[in-house]
Amino acid sequence: MTQLTAVLADIALLAKPALFNLYFAFASIPIGFLFAIFLALGKASRHGLLRRLSSSYIYMFRGSPLFIQFFMIYSMVLALNLSVWKPLGIDGIVLNPLVLGPVVLALNTTAYTAEILFGALTSVPRGEIEAARAFGFSPGTRFRRIVWPHMIRLAWPAYTNEVVFLFHATTLVYFTLPVIDDQKDLMTKAGELFQRDFNVLLHYSVAGLYFLACSLAIFVVSGLIYRRLTRHMPGAAQRWRFTLISPLR
Amino acid sequence: MAEAQAYWSGLFGPDLGFWIAYLTNGKHIAFYASVQFTLIAALAGGAFALLFGLLGAGARLSGFWPLRGLGFVYTNMVRGIPDVLFILFFPLAFEQAVEALRALTLCSPETIAAQNGAWPPCAEANWILGTPEYLALASVTLGLVYGAFAANVMSGAMRAVAPGQIEAARAFGFSAADVFWRFRVRQMWAYALPGLSNVWMLVIKATSLLSLLQIADIVLWANRLGQPNFSRSAGVIHGDWRWAYYLVLFIFYIGLTYVSEKAFLSLTRRARRGMAIVGNAP
Repeated sequence: MTQLTAVLADIALLAKPALFNLYFAFASIPIGFLFAIFLALGKASRHGLLRRLSSSYIYMFRGSPLFIQFFMIYSMVLALNLSVWKPLGIDGIVLNPLVLGPVVLALNTTAYTAEILFGALTSVPRGEIEAARAFGFSPGTRFRRIVWPHMIRLAWPAYTNEVVFLFHATTLVYFTLPVIDDQKDLMTKAGELFQRDFNVLLHYSVAGLYFLACSLAIFVVSGLIYRRLTRHMPGAAQRWRFTLISPLR
Repeated sequence: MAEAQAYWSGLFGPDLGFWIAYLTNGKHIAFYASVQFTLIAALAGGAFALLFGLLGAGARLSGFWPLRGLGFVYTNMVRGIPDVLFILFFPLAFEQAVEALRALTLCSPETIAAQNGAWPPCAEANWILGTPEYLALASVTLGLVYGAFAANVMSGAMRAVAPGQIEAARAFGFSAADVFWRFRVRQMWAYALPGLSNVWMLVIKATSLLSLLQIADIVLWANRLGQPNFSRSAGVIHGDWRWAYYLVLFIFYIGLTYVSEKAFLSLTRRARRGMAIVGNAP
């Protein structure tokens, strides 16, 4: 019985920290998704410089650990503090983990998402684009009506994985950026509770449960979206698999 | 503004002699030497991941349902729980388990009564871990976490082996173990290598987390060396140079990824030689 009350107490204590992880994920995912569309188009573009720039951005951010990216960008921003941010009077905003955290996460997820979208873009059947061209679609309409719907359907399972892994990656924010006052995420709070009574099994399991519950929720919601995306394709939602292609960090 | 100017001229001002002396001082040698921890953890973690991956994939294909269930739980837990949590949790839990075992023999009622804190049970049972112990624990943890990804890849690859091969092996009277090792595992590599390459990249990137386990790895040294450096006799030696050190690590990891990519490409080509696929023109 005491174990159960301890677990319930931990669930209550970790509820607010879980909101910080959710905030970091949901602040960075839409930005990353938007930029990733342009980056994927850039990597697929015929313009040499644009293609090379997009490809190297994707390669750099997929080829290095997010942990290092956090440290690097934070220390760069910090080095510019005296000469740029302070005179402008925005140092409190730029250096705030609640702003800088989502920025770094967005830079990272942009690269991973762009790679997924690029893979999907190159897998769109050529015949559909040729047909659209033959019907006289303008390039913009062609993308919006033909390429994009096809591409997002192809990319969705892998993108779901990326969203879940990005949610997991939010644990790194407070390992690199300063913890201000009571702004603690799940791992920081679990670590603090561990320091108090050294009960590693209890605190880390409850933190893990929060991650598990949120990840499951993301998978379920994403599955529903996928079902809607493929509602005209019988059996597609049943084939829904979380493929292990490129979304891993 | 003057402060900023001093910072930048401090960074680019000194001559070559200064840079050679600076970059070869004792602390920098220790920084370069700490690359070994990253590489050891990556190689050992990768080897463990391969081992656990093989076990997990075998469990998933097993005919015995409790083993199959265990394989399913193992390969899916990494989808719901962050790797960072495992990397922090597992070494701590292992340390406490060892301390609990030691307490059975080393503690007496008096020493337990004398212990104030919540853990360890008594002062004698305390197990102090050094870098080698942490490195071993980190390698096993990396192996456990990324072994789950590897098991996913390998169980898929094992299913991709042509069923005719397995049927032929059975028809020839090979034992179940021989069918598994000499046919399934022997032939799955060609399908598994691209996926395993991804897992290896994950292991490499996860080695950046070693500093969370009190190992003085490159990340910890970069942070230490980049800190603003003052000394009473020489005054300010340099300002905050951490960004430069982290930039070097950023490039180091990209280089590691590049080299691994090339190595895996040639491995895949080797594993696929002789297969009738588009990539292998006759």
